[in-house]
Amino acid sequence: MADHNDPNAVNSIFSDIDVSAADLYDIFGFPADDRTGVEKVVIALTFAAVPQTGVFDTDMLYRILIAPDGRIARSGSDDTSLAGLLAYLEGVKDKYLKILKPSEVRVTVDHNNRADLRFIGFPGGSFSASIATNQTVSVRSPGGHQISAFVGGRDDAFFNDLTGFFRSINYAPQFYHVPHTMPDVRELKIPKTFLELEGNDLLNYDPQLPRWGHGIKKELPAGSLTWSGDRFRKDQNGNFRFVYSGEDARAGQNCNAIILELPLTFLTATTDEHRVVNACGESWVLKAAHKVETIPDDPLWIEHPHVLLDALTLDDELKKYKLVDTDGQAFADAALSEREDNRQLGANNFWLAPHFIKRLGHLGWGFGPSITALGLASAFDHDNSPVSVHRTYSSVLEAFPRVRKILFQELNMPDASWNRKGLPIPLRRAVDIFIPNVNSIDMDTTGTWPFGRRLEDQVATRFLSTFLDMSASFNGRRYHVDLLNDPALWNAAPIEPKTAPNPLKNDKEFLQNFPYLAEPW
Amino acid sequence: MRRITDSITTLSGASDPGRVTRRLYSLYQKASIAGDFAALSVVIGAIDDSIIGLANPGDLYLLKAHAAFKLHKLADVQSALRAVPSVYDTDEGRLIRADLDFQHGHYAAAESAYLDVLQRDRSWSALARLAHLRGKMGDAAGANLLYEEAEDQLTAKEMRAYAWLELQCGFLDFTHGQHGEARLHYRRADAAYPGYWLVDEHTAELLGAEGKYEEAARILERIASTVDRPDLDQAIGELYELAGQSGPALHWKERALNAYLQSAQRGEVHYYHHLVDYYTDVAEDGGEAVKWANRDLQLRENFATQAALAWSLYRVGRFSEAVCWIDRALASGVVDALLDFRAGEIYAAAGNAIEGRSLRERALSRNPAVAGFHVHH
Repeated sequence: MADHNDPNAVNSIFSDIDVSAADLYDIFGFPADDRTGVEKVVIALTFAAVPQTGVFDTDMLYRILIAPDGRIARSGSDDTSLAGLLAYLEGVKDKYLKILKPSEVRVTVDHNNRADLRFIGFPGGSFSASIATNQTVSVRSPGGHQISAFVGGRDDAFFNDLTGFFRSINYAPQFYHVPHTMPDVRELKIPKTFLELEGNDLLNYDPQLPRWGHGIKKELPAGSLTWSGDRFRKDQNGNFRFVYSGEDARAGQNCNAIILELPLTFLTATTDEHRVVNACGESWVLKAAHKVETIPDDPLWIEHPHVLLDALTLDDELKKYKLVDTDGQAFADAALSEREDNRQLGANNFWLAPHFIKRLGHLGWGFGPSITALGLASAFDHDNSPVSVHRTYSSVLEAFPRVRKILFQELNMPDASWNRKGLPIPLRRAVDIFIPNVNSIDMDTTGTWPFGRRLEDQVATRFLSTFLDMSASFNGRRYHVDLLNDPALWNAAPIEPKTAPNPLKNDKEFLQNFPYLAEPW
Repeated sequence: MRRITDSITTLSGASDPGRVTRRLYSLYQKASIAGDFAALSVVIGAIDDSIIGLANPGDLYLLKAHAAFKLHKLADVQSALRAVPSVYDTDEGRLIRADLDFQHGHYAAAESAYLDVLQRDRSWSALARLAHLRGKMGDAAGANLLYEEAEDQLTAKEMRAYAWLELQCGFLDFTHGQHGEARLHYRRADAAYPGYWLVDEHTAELLGAEGKYEEAARILERIASTVDRPDLDQAIGELYELAGQSGPALHWKERALNAYLQSAQRGEVHYYHHLVDYYTDVAEDGGEAVKWANRDLQLRENFATQAALAWSLYRVGRFSEAVCWIDRALASGVVDALLDFRAGEIYAAAGNAIEGRSLRERALSRNPAVAGFHVHH
């Protein structure tokens, strides 16, 4: 009787699957600055440089989904109640029906490291092209549109203090060896905060180990992983300690990238009407059954409901792949969806709206009081709490009043330069930005976040600004998305170190011309 | 395997908990993929040494539970899982506890736990476990669908797991006498993960069942030259016996028996059921078979150990006791042609010719090749 052949023999306890080439980093998108000739949009999808910078994993398939659309029109009487939010989400779902059928650019790379680009479903025509990697190539659509393409290794264009961000949300795996068998120990049940908490030995900066959290981890201590203090930490001079250092965690590191510069006329037949280009990216990995070409598709697979669902929604090529990661709006995953795999819904994230509201409420109780302690005004209603609070919500109804302003306030821009034509373009709101999870590039703007995402945007700090009260003023100016990037603010604040949360610029200068991202290191 | 070996080399001398755990996991993987039980024992020792130095040794306890399970040290599995409450309650902990239930013959409890975990996460390993159980309970179609769903979860980065699942599908066909279908699955497994000894072992078993004894023996000899596996030695001996080559047959059988006994002398228990099979089917020494069958039964009472004891009692001529034990196995709900076939033999020997014939016919209807060669897995 057999028993050495039981499922225990699968030998897979901990995840040992190297799919990091599927780890999407960012999707950038902005109108091309060169305004001679036809109007063009730049879209860059970046991801882990695996197996090497400029060398691609041949089991991967990347998609850039593109859906041009009209700009959201908003009246001054927009309903900011929960009912209004729900109505907005219903509208998004209707709108999303269009985005569900976007055009797309599909990219795979073969064993000779040549990239196969398929342009599918564009008004300007569907076609494919095989191009060399790591060099700029111009391809021509059937309709004669010139498209610039680059598939290769670049300097990673993301610049932020990842350690600081993780410290602000008490993300233990950045600082500790967290065992696989302790799945609950990710974000510790300690108030999220911009300012260190008095006595928070689990996460406060350790002068004896200054590189802690920058690749150095400690062993997770036994015992309670909570905090029981009641104030922010202050030094002998009365200054708070910032959880951020402004250090670029991605300095000197590369990514692989798919960069495209596309004529708007290729993307839409109605360029006057479609002034917003919605874009998002996806990574897919080949399924095992299709790794071996000699393995035929078993018709029985179609009988299985899971596969049946795929069969209804995916084309023949995608059925051979498995969706791994999605990327649309910066920080939609990392901050608001907690990076959980089962929340990788991509643009289709309106299903997550209740979670989004509760999560925002949770973050607000952490970030709001620390903003107020610095003498700034917060959009989160924290009842004037003198210190950050760890609070979670199970009810949207309970969380919504707290986060209403964050969701619906217009995010002021630092000056008028973003609106390069001076058109009546409404300022964006958090609710517009994060649901659905797409990068919405407004072709009449510079494409700076949140009207797209330019390479030079310090988007991590701009994300933090969504917690500021945009009706308040600093030095006689209304708060704006770059306020927390202003060195003057930090120089005047009772805080150490006196730095903006994240670096103000990338570690390498971006290029003036295509492919815009800097050469790899 | 090269990646695992590289990982072991890279991580040697590691002191931080993450790297220590990773290294031990790689060692475990290397030993278990190779089917090297001696190396698995060494890994357990290394795990015990490392657990002492860690503040949060949960991962290592889970690893120890898996390793101990492979070596049939079921009490050690339980104690490892209980050492850290968070391990006990993780889905991985739940799954291996369900595996324990299966080993102890608590099939309904095992199924319930698999289904519970699958409600949260339809992972391929949980699907494969449920498929295995369903297959044992006679639902081959259901098992196949679950295996297929499990395969659909796997990506090109998990080809060894895919090959393993293909082997399970093939083995399910093999146990129903569907050799052609089994061969197709084994070929897919080989195409997916070339050079996997487990594929070769199953292919050899299939060839043996088809009467290609020498070809099968050569394949197993090649595997046996790379790893100490007395169960393969026994299979080689049986194949040579069937091929009419008594000299090599004797050599391989003796080699198998010596290794089984040495293992038992070292206090290991994972070859107990092979000793039972050896003494019942090769040496036809019922007394020794009953001794080892009882020892195995003390570790875990399930349909397999019950049937093994029954078959041993049959060999020694204690037919009424054999009937009692085979009845228990038949009552487990497991649907297995070999179980029916042996039950038929036992019943016939006990004087119940009608029931004996009925059981044999049922066995043959389930697997026309049930009396043919098979490897004692």
